[in-house]
Amino acid sequence: MNDQWTDRLSEYLDDELDQPQRAALEAHLAGCEVCTQTLAELRRVVGRAQGLDDRPPATDLWPGIATRIGVSTDDLARRRVRRISFTVPQLIAASIVLVAASAGVVWMLSRQEPVSAPVTSVPSSQARPVKWVARADSSGDHAVEELRLALQEGQRAGRLSPITVRKIEHSLAVIDSAIAEARRALEVDPNSDYLNSHLADTMRLKMQFLREANRIATAQT
Amino acid sequence: MDAEAADVALAQSGDGSAFERLYRTHVPRVHGLVRRMLDPGHADDITQDVFVRAWEKLHTFRGEAAFGTWLHRLAVNVILARRKTLGGERRRFHEDGEILESVSGRAAAPEHGVDFEAAINRLPDGARQVFLLHDVQGFRHEEIAQMLGIVPGTSKSQLHHARMALRKYLDR
Amino acid sequence: MLYFLVAVAALTQQDTDTSFAVRQGQRLEVNDFGGQVVIKAWRQNSIRIRASHGSRDYIRVSNVGSTISIGASSRHGPAMVDYELLVPAWLPLTVSGSPSAEVNIEGTDAEVSVETVEGSIRVVGGKGNVSLHTVEGSVELEGASGHIELNSVDGSIDVRDVSGEITAESVDGSITLLDIESADVDASSVDGSIEYDGTIKDGGRYRFQSHDGSVSVSVPERANVTVYVATFSGDFDSCFPVTLKDKTKHRFSFTLGTGTARLELESFDGSINLCRPGQIHQRED
Repeated sequence: MNDQWTDRLSEYLDDELDQPQRAALEAHLAGCEVCTQTLAELRRVVGRAQGLDDRPPATDLWPGIATRIGVSTDDLARRRVRRISFTVPQLIAASIVLVAASAGVVWMLSRQEPVSAPVTSVPSSQARPVKWVARADSSGDHAVEELRLALQEGQRAGRLSPITVRKIEHSLAVIDSAIAEARRALEVDPNSDYLNSHLADTMRLKMQFLREANRIATAQT
Repeated sequence: MDAEAADVALAQSGDGSAFERLYRTHVPRVHGLVRRMLDPGHADDITQDVFVRAWEKLHTFRGEAAFGTWLHRLAVNVILARRKTLGGERRRFHEDGEILESVSGRAAAPEHGVDFEAAINRLPDGARQVFLLHDVQGFRHEEIAQMLGIVPGTSKSQLHHARMALRKYLDR
Repeated sequence: MLYFLVAVAALTQQDTDTSFAVRQGQRLEVNDFGGQVVIKAWRQNSIRIRASHGSRDYIRVSNVGSTISIGASSRHGPAMVDYELLVPAWLPLTVSGSPSAEVNIEGTDAEVSVETVEGSIRVVGGKGNVSLHTVEGSVELEGASGHIELNSVDGSIDVRDVSGEITAESVDGSITLLDIESADVDASSVDGSIEYDGTIKDGGRYRFQSHDGSVSVSVPERANVTVYVATFSGDFDSCFPVTLKDKTKHRFSFTLGTGTARLELESFDGSINLCRPGQIHQRED
């Protein structure tokens, strides 16, 4: 039976009716066996949906995914060096764990053994948070130098105009300036949750930017 | 801090092992979503696409919602994008009782042997998508409306039609 | 596979004008090496290509599976072409301009993806996944709905009358989001200002972050939102009274109404301003 009451049963089930509508429907349900039965069936449909069996794919898809995203989990210490090395994120992964909390993002030093062999030494558990920045910088400099070479090559090969190269370099300088300001602030107040998370966000932005800039610099038309 | 939050953080910093652990945890549900919203033939390829895109977009995950919620939302976007390139007829959202009658009528006799999952697959596209996103994946109507380019009212009515049509397959 | 060339015989600048039918389920890809790409929607189920190019350039149109690709070649490699395309509103669009292209799309009702290195992007319309990326140039989007991703390294991002999930990022450009209907907005810039005037929906999530630029956000009167503010040396200013709580050296928060939405405002060095809808510009006058 399709009527105004039946059509509202799903909304009732999902608690989407306002109070007057809910009261009217409940009053109707008290005297309508068909609607009550239908409601029970709808409830069971939802229950069946929520209990649908999810099984992993028959074939392990991870090897294909790992190849496409450029990671090898067999031996991260022997990871191939790509055109833009991701030594900065590896370094951060070896020394910090990012904790997402409801009030914001907090950086903490990991006290566990690193999952992968880091590019440089693992900091001691007593290391102050700002030391990870210094180590990240040294690897970041290498990545930036690789980008500069890629930009030069892109310009030489005619893929990039001098204006574009200058814009990319300028944008990198803007990001580096922001990182420098955040670092100076963090050295004065190393335990500030906000400053740690802001610096981490800005460094992550730099990694994304380097990745994207390298993709542009090496793209073939 | 739970183990998954730690893995997300490590993966955001480029740790492939951490991302693999996230993959192992979430692939059953993602694969199920892909399989049901599209078809089993493309499920493996598109599930791979989902996780590759998740790796590319991991930096946008801020941690306010559960990682699984974020991942499923991303999966839906990938699925909807791939639907268009896989071709097929353009289906429209029905506003009247046509859906209910078409599915219920075909499956009236129990000897047809259509089980619950098969019945979901036989729903028209619009109703199936909304049902999967709402009742299986847990998205709200406002979210579904945004993802599918419809209004929340259409999402609610499609859901109701889907549920009404599926009542007959509860015991199979 | 349908593949044809539109050969040009004249020795001077040439215009090409050709049309062909398309069917539901297909999508269009346009690659340009340095010209303009103007795409307008029309009611017909066909694509019309009008192109201005050098006399020895070829317009290539290929149809592989469900993808129609339009590009151009010359004897020496890719060719620079100015395109004006008329396409069905339902046709998903992908445009790439490397190294450059000025892209202007109007009236589409489908997914849009534009990527260029040099060149501005302007889109009116768009539904579903809308992704606009440029390195050097502005991004303008109006009248779109769905899952929106906008990125300009060195240009401004201007969004008006858009609904859906929105992510906007710029390094050195401002981000302006006006008449927005959304429960999920994330905008960040390193050196540019950010301005938002739109809905703050119950349970929604909104994040606006800049390092050096100002962050100005409007909050409707009946909004139910918890606001988290973080700054190192910037100022905070509100057009309406707020009661601060959880105050630390660089952070504080306050709640309006039931506080179900989450609004994060961060600027390391710039000012953070809150006002009612329509008041943000008044303050700047």
